[in-house]
Amino acid sequence: MTITKKLDGSKLTCSLEGRLDTTTAPEFEATLNASLLGVDDLVLDFSNLEYISSAGLRVLLSTQKKMNKVGKMTVTGVNETVNEVFEVTGFSDILTIE
Amino acid sequence: MPEKSIREMNDFERLQNSLSARTFHAIIIICVVLSLAAVLFGFYLYTNSVRNQYTEKAEDAAKTIAGIVDGDEVGKYVDAVTETYLGLSEDVRQKPDSDEYAKAFESIADERFYEITELLKKIADANGLSTAYIGFLDPTGKKFIIVLNSDPSGDFKGSGHAVDVDKNVLTEISKNLSVIPALISKNDNGYFSLGNAPVYDSHKNVAGYAVTGISMQTVADMSRSFLIQYVIVLAVVTILMAVLMTLHLKRKLVKPVNQIADAAQNYVKDKRAGIISTDHFSKLNIKTGDEIENLALIMADMERDISEIENNLTSVTAEKERIGTELSLATRIQADMLPNIYPAFPDRSEFDIYATMTPAKEVGGDFYDFFLVDHDTLGIVMADVSGKGVPAALFMMVSKIMIKNHGMNGISPKTVLEKVNEQICSNNREEMFITVWYGILDLATGHLRASNAGHEYPVVMQNGNKFELLKDKHGFVIGGMSGVKYREYEIDLTPGSKLFLYTDGVPEATNEKMELYGTDRMLDALNTAVNGSPYEVLNAVQNSVDSFVNGAPQFDDLTMLCLEFKGGGKKTMKEITVDASVENIEAVTDFINAELEAIDCPMKAQTQIDIAIDELFGNIAQYAYSPGKGEATVRYELEMDPRRVIITFMDKGKKYNPLEKEDPDTSLSAEEREIGGLGVFLVKKTMDDMTYEYSDGYNILKIFKNI
Repeated sequence: MTITKKLDGSKLTCSLEGRLDTTTAPEFEATLNASLLGVDDLVLDFSNLEYISSAGLRVLLSTQKKMNKVGKMTVTGVNETVNEVFEVTGFSDILTIE
Repeated sequence: MPEKSIREMNDFERLQNSLSARTFHAIIIICVVLSLAAVLFGFYLYTNSVRNQYTEKAEDAAKTIAGIVDGDEVGKYVDAVTETYLGLSEDVRQKPDSDEYAKAFESIADERFYEITELLKKIADANGLSTAYIGFLDPTGKKFIIVLNSDPSGDFKGSGHAVDVDKNVLTEISKNLSVIPALISKNDNGYFSLGNAPVYDSHKNVAGYAVTGISMQTVADMSRSFLIQYVIVLAVVTILMAVLMTLHLKRKLVKPVNQIADAAQNYVKDKRAGIISTDHFSKLNIKTGDEIENLALIMADMERDISEIENNLTSVTAEKERIGTELSLATRIQADMLPNIYPAFPDRSEFDIYATMTPAKEVGGDFYDFFLVDHDTLGIVMADVSGKGVPAALFMMVSKIMIKNHGMNGISPKTVLEKVNEQICSNNREEMFITVWYGILDLATGHLRASNAGHEYPVVMQNGNKFELLKDKHGFVIGGMSGVKYREYEIDLTPGSKLFLYTDGVPEATNEKMELYGTDRMLDALNTAVNGSPYEVLNAVQNSVDSFVNGAPQFDDLTMLCLEFKGGGKKTMKEITVDASVENIEAVTDFINAELEAIDCPMKAQTQIDIAIDELFGNIAQYAYSPGKGEATVRYELEMDPRRVIITFMDKGKKYNPLEKEDPDTSLSAEEREIGGLGVFLVKKTMDDMTYEYSDGYNILKIFKNI
């Protein structure tokens, strides 16, 4: 999985490519933890994300909780597979999906 | 007694033999006999009295004559006639009818002679005498010579005529008695009553005898008419009595008897028509006050009692019929419970199966079953419940359903048996038990896993060899004891192999000599059809058992099943065993993806499967052996028709059933949501089926995805 970060002031855009699963979730979580300081607008670009597993969901949930305190988090470019996972797990109600 | 029975008679014969006719005949006979006796006796009395009367009359008349006539005169004429008579030549004496004879006596008759004759005539007329005369006995004592006759032209002629007198009269007269009894005498002119009286002269000597005769012809005529009248009266009385008696009998006996007979006939007719409650006898109104009325009352009682009994019997029979109907319904339900439509799997070429159950009673305790656990797994059951009949059948139903329910979960045979055993033991007050052989056959590979709970040895034919008993390890019967563990064994069936399962009804079939059929005969029979289809194999055994038993009653249910494994299944199966670590998720995913891509799996399904692998293998990698290490095996299986991918995750780590975990509440907000439980939930949602089993220390988790 490749994570591309783009910081624009307090707005951080993370583009994910590949799979967000058990293997890659820790890496994604570590990257975010390292980058979120001072960020109040987090955009997760899932345009190139193939799929997401529960490990990824866990990261999304914890990040959403953090961002709820300091600003907002938006998920963009969700493909059908990922969106289905969000729907099934109720994450589409928690996340802000654009 | 008539020789024919009354049912064989025609109407005329019945009439002839009817009570009325018989009574009529009997009365006629009795009356005729009585009448004859009466007639004879009456006639005898009548004639006797008439005869007495007549003899008395004749005697009186004789005495009157003897008293009236002058004895001396009579003596004079007697002497003259005697003299003349004796003076007759012998020739003349022999011809009393000749003129010469008459002339010889003419001179004797003077005026006085005619006066006396006239007197005699008067007396004769007055007394209705047919004859009156005075005469004497020929000194020879043989003849009576007439001297004076009331009717000289009559039979006794005039003076001098000798008559042949009745010997008895002569005897009496010759005794010289003063009183001579009257007599009945017969001569050519008929019966006469003869009266006699001696005529005395002045010297008290017997001058002659007065003889009177009264013809008895009238008496005879009177007797005859008396007899005829008597007979007519008696006949009329007899017939009248017979008719009256017959009518009386008819009213008092025949009519009520016929009423009873009619009632009986209608009663029988009703009974044949199935009418139970009748009142044919009860409604008879026979008031004869005798045995007939008693008979009618007894018949009415009998009718009532029979109706009562029949009513009871009807309800008992109805109950029995109901039970019979229910039992046959139960038999049908039981038969329908067992798979009994062949070919059972017409679209499957990998195997052929055939089974039969012949219960000893209406419903039996044996059963077989076979079912597809999944596309490539066939569950096979052969079982025998202790006991027979309805209780065994009920138990059989429960057991069959339990085994199939557990079997359908795809878990191992020994686990199925253990679970069923626990379930049955938890509530088995009647202490019923059941022997079960349960196996699951992988239709793709011929791999058979089986477990035996006290059941008969299965018979296997492998590689074109003979049928042989497979002496597997028996566990304890199911329902016998809680907590029993069962062993499992595996054999690989090669294409063309056959499996024969049966209940003890086959080897324990008994013939009339009480010999057991036995497994040797069974194997021989099986081997006669070693190359036959399952149907032919069962037929061979059935025929062999039938000819062995030879009509002896079947004591136990006879249940058999034969499976032929043909192979050639389309299933593919691959597996990979790796260290259970997160690093290997990718390897596993790649292994599966390679297979999925080979079958052109749709991208979406593939992604879902990848996620599932990530979740499930990830769980194993992180938790199964934690904190140690271990291996995990992932098996890929593909079923065709319909296409379905089965992925099995096996590890020997901590026993953990992810399916038991509650699904997360997906409606909560981000703050309320907890981390965890989402993965399995996600898999459940995206896969078509998911099963878990813990067997032989393995966590076995399967996911099924239709593609």
